[in-house]
Amino acid sequence: MKKFNIAIVGLGGQGIITMGTVMKNAALSSDLQDVSGSERRGGAQREGYVETFVKYIFYENESEMKDPRKSMHSPMIESGGTDALISLEPLETLRGACYLNKNSIVIFNKTPHIPISVRMGQTSYPEISFIVSELRRITENIFFYDFDAISIENFNSLTQKNIIALGALFAKADIPIDVTAIENILRTGKGAENNLKAFKLGLKL
Amino acid sequence: MGKSNLFINGTKGDKAIVLGNEAIARGALEAGIGYASMYPGTPASEIIAVLDKNKRNIENLYTEFSLNEHISLHGAIGASWSGVRSLCAMKNVGLNVASEPAQFLSYTGIKAGLVLAIGSDPGAPSSSNEQDDRWYSLHTYMPIMEPSNIQEAKDFTKDAFDVSEKFSFGIVLMAPSRLCHNAGALYFGDLRDRADIKGDFKKDPENYLNLFNMAVRNHTKYLERNELLKKYLIESKFNKIINGSSSKIGFISSGVIYAHLIESLDILGIYEHKILKLGFTFPLPNELIGRFFEGLDKVVIVEEAEGFLEFQIKKIAYELGFKGEIYGKDFFRQTGELTIDDVISGVSRFLEKPLPVFFDSAVKTNKELRDKLPQRSGTFCIGCPHRATFYSILKAVGFSNTKGKERDVVIAGDIGCYTLGLLPPYNAMDFLTCMNAGLGIGQAISIFDKKKKVIALVGDSTFYHSGIPVLLNAVQNGADILYIILDNSWTAMTGHQKTPSTQKDIDGKSSPNVLNLKDLVKSLGVSYVKSLDPNSVKRFASQIKSALKEPGVKVLIAKRECILQEVRRNKILNKNGAGFAETGGSLYEIQKSRCVKCNECFVELACPAIILKKDEETDNDYYYIDTASCVKCGVCYEICPNSAIRKVEFDLKTEFKLSGKSLAVTL
Ligand SMILES: Cc1ncc(C[n+]2csc(CCOP(=O)(O)OP(=O)(O)O)c2C)c(N)n1
Ligand code: SF4
Ligand code: SF4
Repeated sequence: MKKFNIAIVGLGGQGIITMGTVMKNAALSSDLQDVSGSERRGGAQREGYVETFVKYIFYENESEMKDPRKSMHSPMIESGGTDALISLEPLETLRGACYLNKNSIVIFNKTPHIPISVRMGQTSYPEISFIVSELRRITENIFFYDFDAISIENFNSLTQKNIIALGALFAKADIPIDVTAIENILRTGKGAENNLKAFKLGLKL
Repeated sequence: MGKSNLFINGTKGDKAIVLGNEAIARGALEAGIGYASMYPGTPASEIIAVLDKNKRNIENLYTEFSLNEHISLHGAIGASWSGVRSLCAMKNVGLNVASEPAQFLSYTGIKAGLVLAIGSDPGAPSSSNEQDDRWYSLHTYMPIMEPSNIQEAKDFTKDAFDVSEKFSFGIVLMAPSRLCHNAGALYFGDLRDRADIKGDFKKDPENYLNLFNMAVRNHTKYLERNELLKKYLIESKFNKIINGSSSKIGFISSGVIYAHLIESLDILGIYEHKILKLGFTFPLPNELIGRFFEGLDKVVIVEEAEGFLEFQIKKIAYELGFKGEIYGKDFFRQTGELTIDDVISGVSRFLEKPLPVFFDSAVKTNKELRDKLPQRSGTFCIGCPHRATFYSILKAVGFSNTKGKERDVVIAGDIGCYTLGLLPPYNAMDFLTCMNAGLGIGQAISIFDKKKKVIALVGDSTFYHSGIPVLLNAVQNGADILYIILDNSWTAMTGHQKTPSTQKDIDGKSSPNVLNLKDLVKSLGVSYVKSLDPNSVKRFASQIKSALKEPGVKVLIAKRECILQEVRRNKILNKNGAGFAETGGSLYEIQKSRCVKCNECFVELACPAIILKKDEETDNDYYYIDTASCVKCGVCYEICPNSAIRKVEFDLKTEFKLSGKSLAVTL
């Protein structure tokens, strides 16, 4: 059995859940055998930490698929168990860092969203250099972009940043499903034109 | 025609990515339900929402968002007695409210199948407690099914209706947040023909009447039915034993925790032990447990919360005279969500096997890292009227973060989006428990502590849920309290279901029977009642001040629609415009030259659209209204004591280019 795990983290309202749904739907049309992964919806829309997991599962053969000790999967990813982490908020990348191991790929957004504690002057927001150095202690495969800026620049709105980030993931990590499978899902969904454009922008990063 | 909507048209062979909640709803649809109701509650809300949304295209389906869980479950019972299969859903604490109908359900039994789907919330990410509702069944005798994944969520729900009819019990289907909000692949089954779903209530006094000896007779009957169900569950497909090799160790688990267990054992590379997967976690047949115990001398139960299974299984072990050891809570914690990490660690300690290196080092690194990170808590949406209400209350009672001034009023909290007001920077609640506890507890405090003023808060949906008798009680008993109803026209917290206050639906359609809340409050005997727009914060704050000076029960209705719904409606009605803030137009701007960083808007009001930016030339921080997220509510404009905020004409794109890459605080 092979697994490919992706953790997506960020804040409520950033489109985290949509990214997970697109990735899971894309797997339905590929020859993957199982896909799962949970979403945390509590606090969505309200700036709280949100995470979603995508787990792609390939069985070696028919008997493994029927083996009760192999064919049931947790909706969660265990600590150190992710192949890729996408984060739409710099600080939250560190909250999602528990899922990383030395081979994981990290893609994160550089635009910060300051929490209330910082607003009230009780703590300070970490520098991007601190975030990167903490991540480097775990893995070398770190990529970060200003997805907010790219989204505003190209779409005059922030709503496209999640799909741009998804494109970046496909550009940097060896995801076991086809780019065309993602494009097919985006093509049939809402706002297809912008989404396809955003995904392509990400692929070029 | 293609199957454009698999949820209602899908048949055997079809496959889709669905939410756990949708899988439960689909299972009920495959079982041919004609009734579905709930009072909304996270994580269960989508179970009924998806049926409600599609009901126009589903023949003979009645759906209802009831005013509370007590009514909702009674509705499901009435439908069942009319011969219609019924589904009722609620969140964990909903069963506290519906515990009375649940208590009677086994006495009377059902007619057509009845399933009660409960969304539990371990770790309480969306709740005010993390109670394990399974314990209720020790006295309601409602059988409990626990699906482990999305496929089982559908399949179990479908089968639950048959079991319900066979043994005349309402069946509880338990699903934690992790399953309700899991999205994954579902293979559909066939749908039942729906043309013949119709009601025919047949009198059944033998079962439906409960008085004196009739109640005792029904008590006897359900205990007998429980024994029959136990017999059936010895061989049923729902409980499975996976045999081990020669190992004398056994694992017992159920639901999502079972899924964690199987993956944990795979991660740890352990395949030799015997496993019992319980699909039904109540009732448990002694014979099944006995069969599992055969050949074992050490058993561990892997489950969440205080150990409902352990409690039952240890009793059975005693009755069977099992000589081996039974563990459970020794290795798996009682509070908080039991995650896959907890299961991996617990199993490794139990078996005395080392943890995999990648896992161990990730856990350790993370422990060091966590303490260094600033906490982040949720807050109201940008432009939420609740923010204005809390700001007004705090101003009226002299509280200030920046000046470090405390408030001396007691603020009684309640449940809804407005509960976020208990978090910083507002800290505007002194207690929070269950729905409508605020006024009830607050009333007594106002009687016993005459030195302090008491303000009780409530949302419109919460008020209609069970607040009306509490308010009437306060009036009848001469309480001295200010009651603020935060009427945003929706049950916002749980995904925006309608309330009797909803005037316009999201598509712009007017509601047929809108309630006049002010008249209702008056009719309960409140003479001091005023309805105001909370966004006019100065007026609202001075109104609160005057109300606090009056004796008796005073009611202020903070009336303004949830901004999220307003924006959504505008988007739908104005498709070409693609929305609200994003198109530019007249916006609010903080003039750098005038702003003295007094923090009135940034910390006291704390609208998240007001952000910190760095001036690239001077390297100084300044406050800035993020044009891409501001919804133009105008509250900051009203409160700025230095008139530093002004209205301007705006084009988002040019502004962004002007400010260049300085969106980031640091690089
Ligand atoms: C007994 C019970 N049922 C359901 C819930 C779930 N729930 C949490 S908040 C809420 C309603 C909130 O609506 P409202 O009072 O109008 O406040 P709003 O969220 O709109 O601010 C509900 C139903 C609960 N907490 N307790
Ligand atoms: S959903 Fe509505 S009521 Fe809830 S925080 Fe957002 S704007 Fe406020
Ligand atoms: S007008 Fe001011 S308070 Fe209102 S959303 Fe915009 S920045 Fe926030």
